[in-house]
Amino acid sequence: MAATAQIVLIVMVITYITIRLFKISTELALFIAALAGAVAGGAGIPARHIVEGAFTYLDIILIFITATLFMNILKESGGVAFVVRGLLARFHRHKAILFVLITFLLLIPGALTGAGSVTVLITGGMIATVLHYMGIPKAKAAAIIFILAGLSAAAPPVSLWAMLTAAGVNMPYVGFFLPLLIPCVVLSLLTIFILGWKAKAVNLEKALEELPLAPARMNWQRVLLPFSVFFLLVAAGRIWPHSLPIIGLPLLFVAAGLSSFLLSPIKLDFFKISRETVQQLLPLIGTLTCVGILVQIMTLTGARGLIAISIVTLPLTVVLLSLSLVLPISEAVLMWGAAPVLGVPLVLLFNTIGLNPIVALAGMSVIWPLGDALPPTAIIGRLTQDTVGLEGSYGQLLKQCLIPAVIIMVAGTLLVIFSKELSFLTLL
Amino acid sequence: MIITLLYYLLIAYIAVLIIWNLIRSKKWQEEILYLIILMPFILRLFRLK
Repeated sequence: MAATAQIVLIVMVITYITIRLFKISTELALFIAALAGAVAGGAGIPARHIVEGAFTYLDIILIFITATLFMNILKESGGVAFVVRGLLARFHRHKAILFVLITFLLLIPGALTGAGSVTVLITGGMIATVLHYMGIPKAKAAAIIFILAGLSAAAPPVSLWAMLTAAGVNMPYVGFFLPLLIPCVVLSLLTIFILGWKAKAVNLEKALEELPLAPARMNWQRVLLPFSVFFLLVAAGRIWPHSLPIIGLPLLFVAAGLSSFLLSPIKLDFFKISRETVQQLLPLIGTLTCVGILVQIMTLTGARGLIAISIVTLPLTVVLLSLSLVLPISEAVLMWGAAPVLGVPLVLLFNTIGLNPIVALAGMSVIWPLGDALPPTAIIGRLTQDTVGLEGSYGQLLKQCLIPAVIIMVAGTLLVIFSKELSFLTLL
Repeated sequence: MIITLLYYLLIAYIAVLIIWNLIRSKKWQEEILYLIILMPFILRLFRLK
């Protein structure tokens, strides 16, 4: 069985690399690698397992789509432009306060949707303008937006790496709020202050000229009410758990999105925004579906077990010291697929040796997004480069990311090592 | 019961969006990907899975 699993794994890797060489997308390469693995493992084309795999992350896909739809409605209604312009007008003389506010503006879209790309698309462009008028070079601005977008994706309430891994080890996605929130916020603030420490006060007139205008009737109530609907429904579910039905995050986001739509001061085309949301999310939904299929086939053929056994039998020091390199590289190759493939055996290993699996997983979740800047995928890195309008080599962005990336790697690894001591953060 | 019905409606709406984008897409890779991601939505909608 082990020999077969090794052959299957080798076939999958070779197929994946070959397909990528033909410039086929990562998602399709994952899908074809899964099919090749099934054939090599003697399972033929296992329709049942393909369907099972495609369903693995359906709930997460629903959260993804509805949360991004909510964010897109808010953006199209002028809410995001209103907030950015408002904060800039009020705090343009106070660099530190502006940095803190920018941090939260960049963290919220990704935290709610679980996707760093949403942060880049919703607020990235506008924040890049603000940073530009603070005298921050484009490469540094791109690095700030990329790193914060990555951390926003890891931040709660929706952290896909944590959710996927937790699902893989049959662990409820509970107790992750503080272990994810604290490092994400602290590391985001460190990043923006380190990369932006030479910034000067904003040239308000020029910045406001370049930022998109908000509709005249837009106000704070119209922006904040949809968020209040969301958080009130979340709170109500927790306060009266036996009296209210479990609504689920997708419907909560639908409720917030509909509130935002109804409160919009301008007429919006709901169907058009929905279509564009699905189009925008296609690579991400595709990855989740194909990764589900890949993981299912890997389980069927024993390849997943082989990876798990190989990891848990490595010396612990090697595992801990290599986390900061292995996790970003696995993210660069498999994107979220890295969580069920590598995350699951790692969490099981940490749990076995007495570390706290929740805090340890939070530490790993902080490191994973760094891989989104690395080839072959580098989806969010390249998206950030385009959004900011950074011309020239992509290497400039990577160079600027280096110092914050090292800090994040160290912090993530320390969270894993000291997870037992930090278990109070889970509030369980 | 109402929540389940709402989820079926949500699934149906997203399936319509995927089919709409699939028909409009001009790139073959995108089309295949749309077909793959459509599968769970259609199966859930028709209560086959």
